[in-house]
Amino acid sequence: MDITVPDTVNGAIMLSIIDFFLSFIVISFIGLVLSAFPLMNRTWKKTAEQIEQPAPKQVEVDMTAEDHIAAISAAVTAMIGAHRIVHIETAQHGPGWTVGGRAAHHSSHAVPHHTRH
Amino acid sequence: MLDQLIAFFNALLSQTGAAHFALGNMVMITIGCIMIYLAIAKHYEPLLLVGIGFACIVANVPGPPDDIPGSHAVSALLYEVKEGGLFHYAYQGVAKLIIPPLIFLGVGAMTDFGPMIANPKLVILGAGAHLGIFVALILAKVLGFTLNEAGAIGIIGGADGPMAIFVTVKLAPHLLGPISVAAYSYMALMPMIQPPIMRALTTKAERQIGMAQVRKVSKIEKIAFPVIIAVIVNMFFPPVAPLITMLMLGNLLKEVGVTERLAKTAAGGLMNVIIIILTVAIGGTMGADKFLTFKTVEIVILGLIAFMFGTASGVVTAKIMNLFLTVKINPLIGSAGIASVPIAARVSHVVAHEENPNNYLIYHAMGPNLAGVFGTAISGGIMLALLGVN
Repeated sequence: MDITVPDTVNGAIMLSIIDFFLSFIVISFIGLVLSAFPLMNRTWKKTAEQIEQPAPKQVEVDMTAEDHIAAISAAVTAMIGAHRIVHIETAQHGPGWTVGGRAAHHSSHAVPHHTRH
Repeated sequence: MLDQLIAFFNALLSQTGAAHFALGNMVMITIGCIMIYLAIAKHYEPLLLVGIGFACIVANVPGPPDDIPGSHAVSALLYEVKEGGLFHYAYQGVAKLIIPPLIFLGVGAMTDFGPMIANPKLVILGAGAHLGIFVALILAKVLGFTLNEAGAIGIIGGADGPMAIFVTVKLAPHLLGPISVAAYSYMALMPMIQPPIMRALTTKAERQIGMAQVRKVSKIEKIAFPVIIAVIVNMFFPPVAPLITMLMLGNLLKEVGVTERLAKTAAGGLMNVIIIILTVAIGGTMGADKFLTFKTVEIVILGLIAFMFGTASGVVTAKIMNLFLTVKINPLIGSAGIASVPIAARVSHVVAHEENPNNYLIYHAMGPNLAGVFGTAISGGIMLALLGVN
């Protein structure tokens, strides 16, 4: 269909009215599209959560197994030389582990306190 | 012997441009000098006015007559300049609509559409502020311009340089010089044109309305925006698709974050080259014989009317919106719906800040300001479609 606006003042007025109101409609449509944009954030967040890798599981090591004890003893000997194994226990997670281990080691050589009468 | 010598020198002189120097050339050279002065001393759009002013000066230095073999006319309209010169090919970049889309590529690469995405209801102001286009169009028709010429003159009110060039080249290429100069000059003068109108149409209480901080726009939204808009514009507005598509491409290059060097080039080096070529092309069309006419004076006045009505209609549109909104918007941002990014937004911010020093409207005003780019494109696209121009 060939649209011809007459080259007259009436044609100019007609063109202006149509153009102005159509602009409003189209801009409003763009505004409507933009108002749906926040939905994109929710969809993207869900997709990102689904493809996120699960955290690695912590593997429990059985520290009572004899071969583990042998391996640890060999490693300690290699590091600090001849020694006597005082105590072996499973690792306690947290900052007290190191302190507890050190205290147990120190107390293994404690000389009994004898009172003099 | 003496007579022969005089005749010889007269013949030599007639082969130079000096013999054809007219008063109109002098006036246009003066106008070119004024443009350069305004650019340097007043910082009025220096990137544009220096090139336009210089090309205007050179274009109005007359050359020898065409009937002299080997002559190269440098005056008159560029599309009459002989092939082979830089000015000719620079103009072809405009005439074949290569340069305006490349400008929009650079503009898109330096634009953050976040303010527009964050507050979608403000895009209405990008349409409301374009009443000036149609007021100027109707008045131009009343003054005797053809409908195509009136459309090209009206688009000055969109305050979008590349769009004005784009529409003018399609509708009325012979008016490219005065329309471009009017469009870019008024954009630079916006801080003087808009504030009195904004204050006249608003109360002090309205000017002091504060606006809450808008939501943060996510990266995924900023990436989706150019793709979605490009699809919409290409589907419904093919006449202006080249401009908006390149605008969106530039924006996409900026927002994806993995094409930083391309975005930098588009917004930097490429943009600078294009601006140089564009200004030379525009200035070269400002020949005295075509520019110094009553039509030019009418175009300049109509351009001013378009800007004034656009400012007023933007503010009034914002006030009408406030009748329906529970959380009011500051009507001063309505005038930013004129597409001159970011000048119009800055003007809104400055006027509001003067009324309330705690009011920072720049981010809010950028929403309608950016929407104005689309408003101008849509208005221009519909106009081209209704006038049967592709």
